[in-house]
Amino acid sequence: MPSYKLTYFKHWGRAGVLRLLFAAGGIEFEDVRIEREQWPELKPKTPMGQIPILEVDGTIICQTKAIGRLIAKEAGLAGKTPLEAAQVDMIVDGLSDLQVKIVDFFIEKDEKKKQEKIKEFAEKTLPMFLDTYEKLANSSGHFVGDALTWADVDFFSLMFFLKDHLPNDPLKGHVNLTKVRDNVTSNPGIAAWMEKETSH
Amino acid sequence: MPAYKLTYFNARGRAEPIRLLFAAAGIKYEDARIEGADWPALKPKTPMGYLPILEVDGTTLCESTAIARFVAKRAGLVGKDDLQQAKADMIVDGMKDILKKLILMVLEKDEIKKEELKTDISEKTLPEFLSKYENLANPSGFFVGDSLSWVDVTFYNLIERVRAMFPGDHLKGKPNLVKVMANVKANPGIAKWVKERPESAF
Repeated sequence: MPSYKLTYFKHWGRAGVLRLLFAAGGIEFEDVRIEREQWPELKPKTPMGQIPILEVDGTIICQTKAIGRLIAKEAGLAGKTPLEAAQVDMIVDGLSDLQVKIVDFFIEKDEKKKQEKIKEFAEKTLPMFLDTYEKLANSSGHFVGDALTWADVDFFSLMFFLKDHLPNDPLKGHVNLTKVRDNVTSNPGIAAWMEKETSH
Repeated sequence: MPAYKLTYFNARGRAEPIRLLFAAAGIKYEDARIEGADWPALKPKTPMGYLPILEVDGTTLCESTAIARFVAKRAGLVGKDDLQQAKADMIVDGMKDILKKLILMVLEKDEIKKEELKTDISEKTLPEFLSKYENLANPSGFFVGDSLSWVDVTFYNLIERVRAMFPGDHLKGKPNLVKVMANVKANPGIAKWVKERPESAF
């Protein structure tokens, strides 16, 4: 097994899902979490001036989804066939389309504008997205096939990130998506990881 | 041999990298192009409400990068092992930011804002991006390994889109990237497709 070193800030952000994938796969990794002040010195050493980065046996990979796919493959969570892999990729890409909209309100500095954007997101954008994704998930609570994949974990990760920014549980009324969330949180590796992450 | 049906508008747009990959690999597919008027009826039948979609083996895929990667795998153009494939994925994903900025600029209706965005792209974002990517490509003109991959093809398509919006010799002083473009154009399947493909505005 190769050696893995993941570097990101402390918070959930873009690396949350990556840490979950390692946990789900029972894969050892060095979980480096840097302070904001350390970032300027590290930045020029990264391939594209961004984190997260994953160092694997001396090679540095950036771009969250590229890293996610690599870990998912190692963990057996990337789909069982090339077609399933493409379905996993498509679900993950759709989630990152939503994430762009989240980042947009997250980084808004004008407080009034920020609240307007959050309102639009919570009342319009997110419900529309979840209606689409409810149809893409199956009744056993998986996006692809009948087993856990990176698509399910990524969905959970984004919902987990959002829960502190929304007044209500957005998955209420979405039966399949609630099952996806349950399947992810009951994965033993993930359950143990979440227990550690959320207890402080 | 499975049947592939790619559906998009009559445009290069987000579907062109996929078409180029089919061409590079010599894989036959149905290149379905719909009129704008036909879109509302089709939209609810797509997985996420947008195009392109690829129908294959009874399944419908969306998201152009996911589709491109799937076709590239079938074509043997993804990289020889997981780590090379991850490197390929990272370099493809890195192109999204600049593409997003280009699209925002094209869609901007306010003329003054549009000029500001144009200047920002041509004087800052584009040169920075190209410097970074010159370092990611190797001197033989490949982004991953020593042969053509979907990264090279995707990059070629991006530069063609950039050139359409910003005429100029952007790759001056970037020999690795110039070689990438040449390698892609020299692929017989791609050369034939570029010559024969339907004309469209974008």
